[in-house]
Amino acid sequence: MFKVQEIREIIRLIDHSSITEFCYEHDGATLKIKKETEKTVQVVQEPVTVQKAEQQVQEQPKALDAPKQETPVKPKEEPKQTETKAAQVEDDANIVEIVSPMVGTFYRRPNPESDPYVEVGDVVKEDTVVCIVEAMKLFNEIEAEVSGEIVEVLVEDGTLVEYGQPLFKVKQK
Amino acid sequence: MSSTRNKLIKILSEKKGEYISGQELSEKLQVSRSAIWKHMNELKKDGYIIEGVAKKGYRIISAPKTVTENTIMWGLETKWLGKNVIHRDSIESTQTLAHQLALDGAKHGTIVVANEQTKARGRVSRKWYSPKGKIIAMSMILRPDILPYLAPQLTLLTATVLANVLDEHCGIKPQIKWPNDILINGKKVAGILTEMQAEQDKVLYVIIGIGMNINQTENEIAEEIRNRATSLFIETKVEWEIVPIIQKILEQFEKKYDAYLIEGFKDVKETWENYGFKINERLKIKTAKETFEAIFRGIGEDGALLAEKSDGSVEKIYSAEIAWF
Repeated sequence: MFKVQEIREIIRLIDHSSITEFCYEHDGATLKIKKETEKTVQVVQEPVTVQKAEQQVQEQPKALDAPKQETPVKPKEEPKQTETKAAQVEDDANIVEIVSPMVGTFYRRPNPESDPYVEVGDVVKEDTVVCIVEAMKLFNEIEAEVSGEIVEVLVEDGTLVEYGQPLFKVKQK
Repeated sequence: MSSTRNKLIKILSEKKGEYISGQELSEKLQVSRSAIWKHMNELKKDGYIIEGVAKKGYRIISAPKTVTENTIMWGLETKWLGKNVIHRDSIESTQTLAHQLALDGAKHGTIVVANEQTKARGRVSRKWYSPKGKIIAMSMILRPDILPYLAPQLTLLTATVLANVLDEHCGIKPQIKWPNDILINGKKVAGILTEMQAEQDKVLYVIIGIGMNINQTENEIAEEIRNRATSLFIETKVEWEIVPIIQKILEQFEKKYDAYLIEGFKDVKETWENYGFKINERLKIKTAKETFEAIFRGIGEDGALLAEKSDGSVEKIYSAEIAWF
């Protein structure tokens, strides 16, 4: 199995290189890293559960150490790739989800006395802060990254969210 | 900031009160003796007391003890951290100003520091009484090229930096309460608040706020928290100069941060556990899902709290309310 440090180092090297795709097999474990844009590094794990078209990716890495999750791997199997994206397109092509970039506690307001950052019906822009996710006392202000209207809040204030868990549904303009 | 003046202050500080001739200074700094004289006058304006004696030269009697942009930068041995210092005598919160500066494009390594905060922010609006000149209130703006889910590790890294400085510079061994409160003799002496703006896969900026109680007397700690909070003065019976502590924090932080980006979290974990509060003791953990008692088994490779449950299983905790008994 790959060590966390090794994978982190590989990600770093690839991130700073012009390589867009990287595949490494060792002891029956396969590591595939695919870079879509300059800044996006994706770690694609195998095996991956392929969901029905209208469902989003379930094989989200679980914890903070998520992208280095050690999953048993069957190297011979046809690689089925799934992608993690900031916004997952649902059946309605105009609805996108804002997902959590890390594990932590979901907060809808900057502090308990304040109003929530956003409510259903609010119009958000790419850089509108929609919530906070806290892990190990780091408070991450999450930006919408899409513009549109909040149509659903999927998580209750103060609950624990996983890496990649959908938080809001946004109807794009 | 004139780099000549920076060098000048360094040479004078190294002489530790001994005289150095104007001739020697002008040779070392490659400037005229009248330029040296001008720099000396600027230093005096900043509160340095400098004596100039004919045929002997110059010597520093005392350097200003107050925290200013200049006193922080003079003699600060860092490569990128604190090269841009924003200082305020009094401010609502260094964290709030740091956010504004970061949004306006402030550079990686910019720091905001104040002698007093009138609306110090902790999470959940917990009040922190920060009397003028007796505390460290500082926020660092960082733009790390790491994935957002790794950024929480920076809060533990910062805690190890503060612990190291208290240990090595102040000679008192602190403890770190997970994830990042600094305790001396079981009472909180420093806190860290880290805030981040990030996209899904890119950190825009991280602001690490550090609040440390330095020279408050017992009466200057709010009564309702006196059994839980302390200051460096109360614990060591020594009045501390604040500038050198800030400089040590910045120097140590830069070193640890640079090493972390290359080598990862392993070293931080080791140092953290060396100072870890109540490792192998019982605690009560309240998450959004459940409340349970567990034994604290140190931290994981990613900084998570390792909680051993009664059935022997170990759960990684990233966010919870913890009762430390």
